[in-house]
Amino acid sequence: MRKFFYHAPSSLWEMFAIVDEFRSEDLKLVAGGTDYVPRLNRMLSQIPTGEEKPTHIIYLGKLDFKGIREVDGCVHIGALTTLSVVESSKLIQEKFPVLIQAIKSLAGISVKSIATIGGNICNASPAADTVTPLMVLSATLVVSGKEGDRNVPIEKFFKGPGKTVLEVGEVLKEIIIKIPSGSAAFMKLGRRKAETLSVVNASAYVDVVDGIIKEVRMAAGAVAPTPVRCTKAEEMLRGKSLSTEVIKEAANNIPADISPIDDLRASAWYRNRVSTVMMKRALLSACHLNIEE
Amino acid sequence: MSEILKFNVNGFPVEVIVQPTDTLLSVLRDKLNVVSPKCGCNHGDCGACTVLLEDEAVKSCLVLAMTVVGKNVLTVEGLMKNGEMHPIQKAFQDYGAPQCGACTPGMVMAAKAFLDKNPNPTVEEVKEALSGNLCRCAGYKKYTEALMAVVNGEYPL
Repeated sequence: MRKFFYHAPSSLWEMFAIVDEFRSEDLKLVAGGTDYVPRLNRMLSQIPTGEEKPTHIIYLGKLDFKGIREVDGCVHIGALTTLSVVESSKLIQEKFPVLIQAIKSLAGISVKSIATIGGNICNASPAADTVTPLMVLSATLVVSGKEGDRNVPIEKFFKGPGKTVLEVGEVLKEIIIKIPSGSAAFMKLGRRKAETLSVVNASAYVDVVDGIIKEVRMAAGAVAPTPVRCTKAEEMLRGKSLSTEVIKEAANNIPADISPIDDLRASAWYRNRVSTVMMKRALLSACHLNIEE
Repeated sequence: MSEILKFNVNGFPVEVIVQPTDTLLSVLRDKLNVVSPKCGCNHGDCGACTVLLEDEAVKSCLVLAMTVVGKNVLTVEGLMKNGEMHPIQKAFQDYGAPQCGACTPGMVMAAKAFLDKNPNPTVEEVKEALSGNLCRCAGYKKYTEALMAVVNGEYPL
């Protein structure tokens, strides 16, 4: 019979002790649980196939990685902050509206009340909606382990679908975003308007000074094994004079930066085509231009 | 690994024996006989299991039971006061929103959680708030109209 154990550590050190004790068994860090519990329910409704290791559910809700604060021109978001708290934060609404756009499209009120931003990142779905905005904002992730904290730029955090650079016993502590001078926008295409996974999502950040694109960053989700920065398309825009033509040209080059697959939601062919449209809209929106162009 | 879980349901303290894999939904329905939240999909899509946890709408099939220790849960059973329906329930009934009724408890709790925090939403905001609740009878238009009637003061909260 599959055995399950539940732990709710009140401190990081308690968590490290639990991880050390049960290192050889199956460890599951759970924050909001909105990604893990459906998988658990599905697994429990199936006939067990063989000898599986005992699973230790380690609930992180008592750890203090919550809250949003501004320190020296950077905003720090605790990894365990629920999406509804991030969405209603005046600071985030003011400084990073792109993140608000992403969270609004992510899920409804009854999921955002328990889902956490750290959970969305660490679940490492290639379609994760909060990740492409954080990528174009050049967010830094702070990872806590027994040896202390280390900083990982968000672009370096993902290794593959569902895989991150977190070692056993490490946990995401907070997300640090430097308040930028430009503006960003997020566009999501799903199979319906709400409560849907991304078929393609696109985020774009631009900093335009005197009509010249001083800096641009683009990231796309659900079009590669991990969310990806579109660096080739970025090079086509950096330093150029802002115009809808130059934006369209760069957006049409997105397929060179991505590698989508056929899956349940869409084909690779479709994703290659529609990603150019979503990125064009994200860029136009970030530049405050009419997206119907 | 069984443990005794102590929390509050509709104002009453309860104690149940739970497993780590039990969800709040299964504890409410199977152990406490609080059957208004329904199990529609068991993976967080349909919203028929929506209840209030500490005044916030949650999908109870996504909440591990052991994480609610000490917390307050509110379900439809806790909404009636002195035999009187809650204004949201009255509005749903008058506007003919429930057809088969399977999604209704989830709709009621999601609506209550939303209106308690946003007493003056637009129609679009109401639709967005209920976007986590699916209705196979497609009663969406009536649910929205009933809630706008509540917002407009026809059913004082």
